[in-house]
Amino acid sequence: MLSYEYLISILGVAFLIIIISLVAFVLSKMEKIKGLSSIIESLNKSLDEMDEQAKLIVRTDIELNKTQEELDKKIAGLYTLQKLSRAISTTLEGSQIFKMVEANYLESLGFEKTCGFLWDSQKNEFLLQMSIGYSEEEMSAIKAAISKDRDFFLNFIRNEKTTSSMSLTDIALKNKIEKTLRSTAFVIAPILPKEGEKGFFAVATENTDTSITDGDEELITILANEIGQALENARLFEKTWHTQQQLEQKVEERTRELTNALNAVKTIDKRKSDFVSSVSHELRTPLTSIKGYAAILLTGKLGTLPPQAKERLEKINRHSDELGHIVNNLLDISRIESGKMVMNLGKHSLKEIIGKTDDLLSGQLKENKITFSINIDPDISVLVDPEQIGRVLINLIGNAMKFTPAGGKININARRLNDGTAQVDISDTGCGIATEDLEAIFEEFYRVENTINQKVRGTGLGLALVKRIIKAHQGKIWVKSAVGSGSTFSFTIQQG
Amino acid sequence: MPINVGVGLSTNKDPILAAQEALQHAKTNFFHEKIGLVFIFATINLSTPVILKTVLASIPEVPVIGCSGAAVIYDEKSYNNGLVIMLLGFSEGVYFNTAFVNNIKNKTPITAGEELGEKLLYGFKNIPRDLGLIFCDGLIDNTQDLVNGIQEKLGRSFPLVGACASDNLKYARTNIFHNNDLLSDSACGVLWGGKINFGLGIKHGWKPLGKQHLVTKSYGNIIYEIDSQPATYLYEDYLGCNVKKLQSELRFISVLYPIGIYVPGEEEYLLRNIRSIGSDGTLILQGSIPESSQVRLMIGTKESCLQATNQAIDDVNKGFSGKSASFVLIFDSISRYILLGRDAGKELEIIKKQFGPEIPVVGLYTYGEQAPLTAIGYRGKVYLHNQTVTLLAIGG
Repeated sequence: MLSYEYLISILGVAFLIIIISLVAFVLSKMEKIKGLSSIIESLNKSLDEMDEQAKLIVRTDIELNKTQEELDKKIAGLYTLQKLSRAISTTLEGSQIFKMVEANYLESLGFEKTCGFLWDSQKNEFLLQMSIGYSEEEMSAIKAAISKDRDFFLNFIRNEKTTSSMSLTDIALKNKIEKTLRSTAFVIAPILPKEGEKGFFAVATENTDTSITDGDEELITILANEIGQALENARLFEKTWHTQQQLEQKVEERTRELTNALNAVKTIDKRKSDFVSSVSHELRTPLTSIKGYAAILLTGKLGTLPPQAKERLEKINRHSDELGHIVNNLLDISRIESGKMVMNLGKHSLKEIIGKTDDLLSGQLKENKITFSINIDPDISVLVDPEQIGRVLINLIGNAMKFTPAGGKININARRLNDGTAQVDISDTGCGIATEDLEAIFEEFYRVENTINQKVRGTGLGLALVKRIIKAHQGKIWVKSAVGSGSTFSFTIQQG
Repeated sequence: MPINVGVGLSTNKDPILAAQEALQHAKTNFFHEKIGLVFIFATINLSTPVILKTVLASIPEVPVIGCSGAAVIYDEKSYNNGLVIMLLGFSEGVYFNTAFVNNIKNKTPITAGEELGEKLLYGFKNIPRDLGLIFCDGLIDNTQDLVNGIQEKLGRSFPLVGACASDNLKYARTNIFHNNDLLSDSACGVLWGGKINFGLGIKHGWKPLGKQHLVTKSYGNIIYEIDSQPATYLYEDYLGCNVKKLQSELRFISVLYPIGIYVPGEEEYLLRNIRSIGSDGTLILQGSIPESSQVRLMIGTKESCLQATNQAIDDVNKGFSGKSASFVLIFDSISRYILLGRDAGKELEIIKKQFGPEIPVVGLYTYGEQAPLTAIGYRGKVYLHNQTVTLLAIGG
């Protein structure tokens, strides 16, 4: 019995302990659950926070990607634009400029369709310059639509502002242009050359993924500007080319006229030479007779002449000599010009040629009290006809003597030049020649108007003959002079 | 080498001239006595029946398979306007059979898949089969069912790789090429067996972001509700914008932040691009999504994309285990083309460099890729993927 109660009490205690333990266990579990709940709550909170961060990441990422895409597009666009600009700038033909915009360039800019129009003020309509990505049928419809809405497009050109499916605020208008250009997105930029007809350039795409950006507008504006500039360049080039053509044509016409005139002058000159030559020939024969008969009469073999008749005959004789001299000179000029007079060229010492002349003129020089000096580089050999060059020297020294007063000086200098010629200078201290006469003195029958010439007789053919002889030696002759300061005649001849 | 390959490319805009040029180039590089099979990949503007006629006029009675792409790939370059023709010559011991199925929508994708599987098996009695390759219309709503149907016939763990044809991002019509026929609402394929080796690599490079969400209502490729709220709310919440803004920025959202489906037991998430956003709060995906799927918002960068490309190449090499490939097929998601932008060429350069100058790399940018989720071992369910680079190297 006792043991039964004892057992009951033990069981009671044990039950109590179990209850207490269970309570303690439950309490501890509850505590743990509470802890775990708190962790879960904290984890959920972290997850929510991470989710919020994820949202921030996504929002930043999409902006970054859009910027990146815009940048990529701009780089690709600029690269394409550079290539396109280079192609356009190499064209100077207006009709070819639009054709430089090729499909592959367009695709790189993100468009597959394009068309360009220029206003024709005479026809009062927009003329199509090029199109890509449109069929003929579509293009006809676009032309008709643009013709119908020409006022809008003219206004658009006047406003000088690019527009697009992004920037156009008038939705009805935007839809209308999209429909006209058969596209879902477009950019239209005005083409504005400084002068000439203006127009517009449109690019479009049917790609629904494409949305126009500021970058697209900028690129197409630059492209349209490039086209405008190229049109301007082409116009200027064409204008310059036309002017040049006209000038060339004028020059050609003038050259032809001058050639004809020159030929006419040559013909006349030849006729003159022929005339002078034949007249001179014809004159020489009777002149010889006149001179001969006068000489016979003067000898008195045909009877003594009264002093008056003798005086007259002496005049006839003197004048016949002068006339003979003129005729010979004229004949020589004519023969040189016609090439009938052959220069017997050979190597000769210039010093010797000048020395011979000196011998001929020294008496006259002394008589006129003129100091004559010769200064020649030693051993100058020249390729000349010595007889003709002698004539040249006699003429030039004779002239110098004629115009140099008593007590004056005449110098002859001769030297080698580096170009294979020798230059001879004959200078005097005479009255000199007026500037306006310097060129003319080498022409036939030209005589300077001065007191000496009025006193001294001359033919006006000496310098003309000298010039032709020098020319026949491939030389040059010129004169430097001033009134009162003497003259220097210079000529060049080939060294031998 | 049991497989001989000749590849030709043309970028001519005239389909006849393009076909003649590409075929001529391919023949120049082809040194086998008999052409056994022809692959054709063409951009949508060149996807015309005339290219098939031109090719078959020159090489009659040779089976042809292929499809259209937003861009075609040949070696390290992609072409927005291009046609690639690959001629294959097989030595004895390699078996294959081509087949096609049309009217998929009417037949339902699963039935059509079963039909295609059955047709592919023709002639394979007592021959061990190794690999199935399929091309399907990229605008079919439930390509996953089509794949399931094929696997019903070929085996639920049979390795199957494929590409969804694409167009020039207009989502208007994509084309399948099978012999003389240019088809839409169709699929075609080739089943290989015998002495054939292959290596498969499939990776996308997108990472999960934010909390896990539950698809509470979906049908086919349309999600109606996520976490018992309109599906678009997920994107509205993360991107901080309304539906209208989402619709206007769909191009970015679809490529950059696809939906990732958690597949139990798999390391990688299965991605789904968003094809369109309904004003009623629905998300229309490029591929089906089962109700009760656990999904995450995914995020990708150019770097993670290219990293995945390298991983895919590694997987191909692991599968090949020392043997050499005769050619590499590449099915690259159009999303990667958009995301990589100017760097799209870089991805192709990496691939070409890894396989070397002797092995042609041929393929296209797709609207979807089909392959097992894990490439190693090729065993397991075949899924429709988005955003992946799928590399299939085939050798004798």
